[in-house]
Amino acid sequence: MKYIFVGAFCAMAVLSVVAWWWQPSQRDDGRLEIVWVSDDNPVRREQIDLFNELYPQYRLRLDPQNSGMEKVIVQCLAGVGPDVFDCYSGFQLASFVRSGIARDCAEDLAARDIDIDAVWPALRPLVVHEGRAYGHPDNAHAPALWYNKRVFDAAGEPYPTGGWTWAEFIEVAKRLTVEDERGRLAQFGLMMGYGDWLDILVAQWGCDIYTPEGTRCTLDSAEAGAAVQFYQDLIYKHGVTPSPVQESAMASAGGWGSGIIALFGADKAAMAIGGRWWLCLLRNPDFGKLPLGAVELPHGPTDRVFGGGRSTLVNAKSKNIEGALTFLEYMHGPAWNNLINRQADALSPVMKYNYTEEFLFNPEHPEEDYNAVWRTAMENSIPRPVSPYVHGQRVDRILAKQADLVRAELKSGAEAMRDAAREINEAIIEMLEIDPVLRERYYEAVAKGAPAAWDRPEDAP
Amino acid sequence: MRSKRTAVITALCFLLPNFLGFCVFTVGPVVFSLTAAFSNWNLMKTVPLQFVGLGNFVKLFTEHEFWLYSINTVYLMMGMPIAIAASLFLAILLGQKLRGIVVYRTLFYLPSFTAGVALLILWKALYNPDFGPINVIIETVLGWLHVSSVDAPTWLSSTKNVLSLGVEKVGLVAGQFGLGARDAIIMMGIWTAAGGGNMLLYLAGISNIPQELYEAASIDGAGKWAQFRHVTWPQLAPTTFFIVIMSFIGGLQGGFEQARVMTMGGPAGTTTTLSYYIYTKAFEEFQIGYASAVAWVLFTVIFVVTLVNWRFGSQYVNE
Repeated sequence: MKYIFVGAFCAMAVLSVVAWWWQPSQRDDGRLEIVWVSDDNPVRREQIDLFNELYPQYRLRLDPQNSGMEKVIVQCLAGVGPDVFDCYSGFQLASFVRSGIARDCAEDLAARDIDIDAVWPALRPLVVHEGRAYGHPDNAHAPALWYNKRVFDAAGEPYPTGGWTWAEFIEVAKRLTVEDERGRLAQFGLMMGYGDWLDILVAQWGCDIYTPEGTRCTLDSAEAGAAVQFYQDLIYKHGVTPSPVQESAMASAGGWGSGIIALFGADKAAMAIGGRWWLCLLRNPDFGKLPLGAVELPHGPTDRVFGGGRSTLVNAKSKNIEGALTFLEYMHGPAWNNLINRQADALSPVMKYNYTEEFLFNPEHPEEDYNAVWRTAMENSIPRPVSPYVHGQRVDRILAKQADLVRAELKSGAEAMRDAAREINEAIIEMLEIDPVLRERYYEAVAKGAPAAWDRPEDAP
Repeated sequence: MRSKRTAVITALCFLLPNFLGFCVFTVGPVVFSLTAAFSNWNLMKTVPLQFVGLGNFVKLFTEHEFWLYSINTVYLMMGMPIAIAASLFLAILLGQKLRGIVVYRTLFYLPSFTAGVALLILWKALYNPDFGPINVIIETVLGWLHVSSVDAPTWLSSTKNVLSLGVEKVGLVAGQFGLGARDAIIMMGIWTAAGGGNMLLYLAGISNIPQELYEAASIDGAGKWAQFRHVTWPQLAPTTFFIVIMSFIGGLQGGFEQARVMTMGGPAGTTTTLSYYIYTKAFEEFQIGYASAVAWVLFTVIFVVTLVNWRFGSQYVNE
């Protein structure tokens, strides 16, 4: 028996040596590798190839499997994280900074003449936390209204030209909502994703989600309640946008950018609220040269929308800080910005590259004569409000639950937002109980007159 | 003497790799999580690590979400008796001496060696409210019966359930009666479990029952049902006991994959189980200490339930 044991041990040892010797060398061409955790957008390869061409001393590699804030934080803390990683919101930036994995790049950026003020103002919360810069935005997004010309032509409806109110929009959307022979809705006037409707309507109705200091959630305001109620009415009163049941009945398979975009591309909706980045998918020949148009959103009580995008941050423990910073430098330059605009991966982050003829009229896609719409939407956008005193994922979970209840007509908009505000304020109090640094800052803000998250003094942490 | 020592050393050499792995990857994390449960460990560097005593446990017992998700976990276990009965039924069928029985056994065991995520996506399509085969069949049957007042369930989009449990309240709520996401997951669980490992255990148990017992029962005039009741069922008691214990453990730990792949814990948190809750607390909100406390409470519940099963179940088996 012992001979079997020794033999098996020796065999495994030999095989381990062979495997170690056989593994492909990661730096056999002398190029330093930069690992980028980002989503697997179809245009990402070209963005990487261009960097590798411009900076031959580095090799940028995409790692789409490890995206997601929780994975990035856990891996970076364990010392096996990527060199650079994506960030999608101010909530996420705060979490990355507070967990200590995002590198403060303010001095590094200044040394490379990278001016963060040159990017769209709505993107600042994605890279700037408490006055310090931690990365560079990748792209910029503000919503507008897509419309499918084929659906409009079939209905004999003139194309929208913008400058309309929601009431006017609803009348058009009703005419474009079509039932099939079995009486089921086969085509909707409007489609909008969860994040979009909540952000857009709450912003347009004039609610800021938090007080300016972020010390209290204000979703219990009359404006927020009315905004969410309006969304519920779009589903159940006006019948122009799908309920969760209708949406899941139409649902397609998963994957990057699928779902609502695929449904819109398949003529299941006449109009959809989305971003310019949808073109990354809709330009695909699978959609058969979809005849598209875009106009500004219908006007609500205000015209403002929450803008955003994506940013790339540097891992504080990266072994290739220089390479990571070079990648940020690339994102600030013309090569990246013009490529983003040409690929329609939303809008380029640096504002000046959106004010060129090349942006307005892409010779490869002359049919896209609506690029100015996206730029105007970005100009009208404001940063999505963020509270540093509450965990973003927790807030998302609370909002998702209340959104489900509104979409299922189990609650009115006002009830749902009142409960959401209560739960978010409780989450703020809970966070203050845990984090002494935040608590100190919070009390300073409250002492200066900011409203507290609690209504009764005895609830204060 | 020397050969005995050599044998002991050889045995230890065989055991050592597994023992080391067990210590590093099982005992270590278990002890670590127990320690973490009494701390405020949070991945945010602004939160200094502190011993909080029973603070996490006190908090979780007063937290509304914990009770809601505990109820979800128990609710999803309601399919367990049906799944066990179905396993036994299938095992009896597949224990027959039929032509091509191996093919049947393989087919029924298929769900167990098919990738879990693939199955979940398949079931998601089956539950499509408009075009899913399940609702197509229900609507067809309703059409035959000329029933127009009843709609087919909307399955994964619905918060309804057969016990009328509330969505945000712990308790029963009017208007919540129906079939919804939780019931959809139960049905899927029954399908998966019926032809799985339990069926194999029963099959093995049945093949071990001495034929003489059936022959004796037959001579005494026992029919098929009497043979099952007085021979098969008592002889399978140890197997059933084992299956019940394992199902309880699996049920209390379950629901994570379904929540992650099919529903993201929704709609409105109705398919969030304790295991998914632990994940969200630990890896989305980074409250590792609190999540560890929930995990240890879950462990304690499983341990107590297993002890109770053992205490009363073994009595039944020995009778």
